[in-house]
Amino acid sequence: MIELNELTDAAQKAFPADALSPGRDESWRLVAEMGWLMVRLPEEDGGLGLDREASAAIHFEMGRVLATTPLIPAQLGLQAVLASEIAARVEWLERLAGGEYAPLHLLPAKLEAAPNGTLSGVVGGVFDADMAMAVVAKLPSGYALVPTDAPGVSIVERAIWDPSRRLFDIVLDGYAPDPALMLTDADGAAALHDALAPEAHLAVAADCLGAANAALELTIEYMKMRRQFDRPIAMFQALKHRAADMKARIAVAEALLWNRVRDDAATLVQCGAAKTLAAEAFAFVTEEAIQLHGGIGLTEEHPIHRFMKRAMLNLQLCGSPDLWNERTGREALG
Amino acid sequence: MTDTPDLEALRREVRAFLAAEAPTGWRDASRTQDDFVRTQRDWFTRLVSAGYAIPHWPAAFPGGGRSLAEQKVIYEELAKADCPRLLLSFVSTYHAFATLHECATREQQDRYLPRILEGETWCQGFSEPGAGSDLAAIKTRAERKGDVYVVNGQKVWSTMAQFADKCLLLVRTSSDGPKQAGITYLLMDMKAPGVSVRPIHQIQGDEEFAEIFLDNVEIPVSERVGEEGKGWAVAQATLASERGLTLMELSYRMRGALARVASLIREHGHEDDRGVLRDFGELVTQVDAVCAVADQFLDNRIKGIERIGDASIIKNSYSRALRAYAKLGLRLGGIAEQYVAPITFGDLNTGNWMADFMNSYAWTIAGGSEEVQRNIIAERMLDMPREPKAWVA
Repeated sequence: MIELNELTDAAQKAFPADALSPGRDESWRLVAEMGWLMVRLPEEDGGLGLDREASAAIHFEMGRVLATTPLIPAQLGLQAVLASEIAARVEWLERLAGGEYAPLHLLPAKLEAAPNGTLSGVVGGVFDADMAMAVVAKLPSGYALVPTDAPGVSIVERAIWDPSRRLFDIVLDGYAPDPALMLTDADGAAALHDALAPEAHLAVAADCLGAANAALELTIEYMKMRRQFDRPIAMFQALKHRAADMKARIAVAEALLWNRVRDDAATLVQCGAAKTLAAEAFAFVTEEAIQLHGGIGLTEEHPIHRFMKRAMLNLQLCGSPDLWNERTGREALG
Repeated sequence: MTDTPDLEALRREVRAFLAAEAPTGWRDASRTQDDFVRTQRDWFTRLVSAGYAIPHWPAAFPGGGRSLAEQKVIYEELAKADCPRLLLSFVSTYHAFATLHECATREQQDRYLPRILEGETWCQGFSEPGAGSDLAAIKTRAERKGDVYVVNGQKVWSTMAQFADKCLLLVRTSSDGPKQAGITYLLMDMKAPGVSVRPIHQIQGDEEFAEIFLDNVEIPVSERVGEEGKGWAVAQATLASERGLTLMELSYRMRGALARVASLIREHGHEDDRGVLRDFGELVTQVDAVCAVADQFLDNRIKGIERIGDASIIKNSYSRALRAYAKLGLRLGGIAEQYVAPITFGDLNTGNWMADFMNSYAWTIAGGSEEVQRNIIAERMLDMPREPKAWVA
């Protein structure tokens, strides 16, 4: 059994804090070598068989360095294949664990089926589709692997503000789904979604909080170094109090994250709530971070804006805060 | 943390006791200060005999010798069963106990600790009009005359001093050197000549705190704790007596009281108002997170891990959630909440939303204000520099 702190140490060694957003392809090779693509793959299927806590610990470290490598959608894609009963399941799992990429899309699909069964429309929120051999997409007939080189499939990069990630649409134009690649039927889609969604929420939440910690550290460091009125600005109580609030928001969101990560009975809505709190904390911290950096925070040269941009994108992944707050409220109302 | 078999057994035992004995209707029986005090004394006596009032005391006392993990189980169950919190005896069983246990002489311990279990109550005479966040600035003077100290001064914000038998008193015996060095710690009889107490009428109609006036009060030297001039260190033991259980308990209680907000939403027909549901959901998550952070803090303490500043984060997070809780209730309740309704003494989540809102300030101001906690987080956790001390008017 791999200890959590060993995992964290290894992650920090492989992805040192002073190198933000290291190159994607090199990072991907590193991530595959370290076995992180198969963290949640059971040992009997050739994986590491680690729990949600181990997985969250890795995503936390990936957030800390604003990782460019699409580990979250890769893990979710692998889990979708794992949960399926397709004929080539074992072969697919081996390929995915070995470094081939078939991500789950993280934004909704808008597709229409023609009378002959072919599909047209857009599957949104696919990270790094340029390196994907297939995408795990929710089609009207269920979840399926959609090969990116199949006829009727094209990938379109959508420029995003967040420079640490690359987002694509998968555009289908008369695509005929391959029955051998259907991971679920229409009825099974909801169950697979509900099984994967908590994983997705907890992973994104961990990414948020790793990054929020790093943004706070950068900000504190800057405030200690930057001098005005003959003293470091970190000495002014008005600014210290804002830093303290940033720290408190992170700490509270972290406590909820780890609580839900360790609670196997945590519901989908509870995981969505943990992600919402984490993403809101991350957004708050980065908003404050730019203000506390003053003018330098508005320059592209200084990295702090990159944290803010990742935070804004993370807020919208897996459902917006409005959606999850509403669902949390509805559930608590009983 | 999941319960070990021992903890699980304790949990069952406490639940069985509470199923039979937990007071119901205590809120209605706490509409006046006198009724509140009666309810408190009664519940304390029953908890003492059941063995759940002083789990943190040594094993020599009945119901003592419980580990922090066991204490946590007891408090969780008391909160879930919505029992009254032990407020009247809080200073006695925590602050007075810790001070006596850690710093007092054997004679002092033998004299006072058993009496606490018989219902003797203590108050804390620390804060003064000019010494709040800056506690070491106290001015209450004690002059030694033979075998007694003669004390003159004023204390303020002393919780339930009007009902107390004894007082943990910080006095100044010297004005030389650093201000912490001239402080001495005394145990004062509240019935001694020269002691007068005036309850403070709070904005919501409660009288949880009092002022204490000291006019030539004679306190025997034998009632001193620690050396003369070494009271500051003793005061630290008093202030460190509470080990995080209170905020965990209060957070759990607030979580239980979310049902009050839910009823309000239903009463006003907001079940499908997405804006209201979002605000409610946001509050639910905020409260869940406060419970998680308080829980984590205690679990860390049980494991012997603690970081400076953690307690400040929990206090600020709890008090902010409490304010948000009361404000949402106040908003949803509308104009109805502006008509005066009876208050409940000794409860923070009563459903009298205007009173709860006002009461929530006790948590952002008392026990180290929100601003002082922020200083602690910034200076001691984030290692930001202190402001220069010297200030010239």
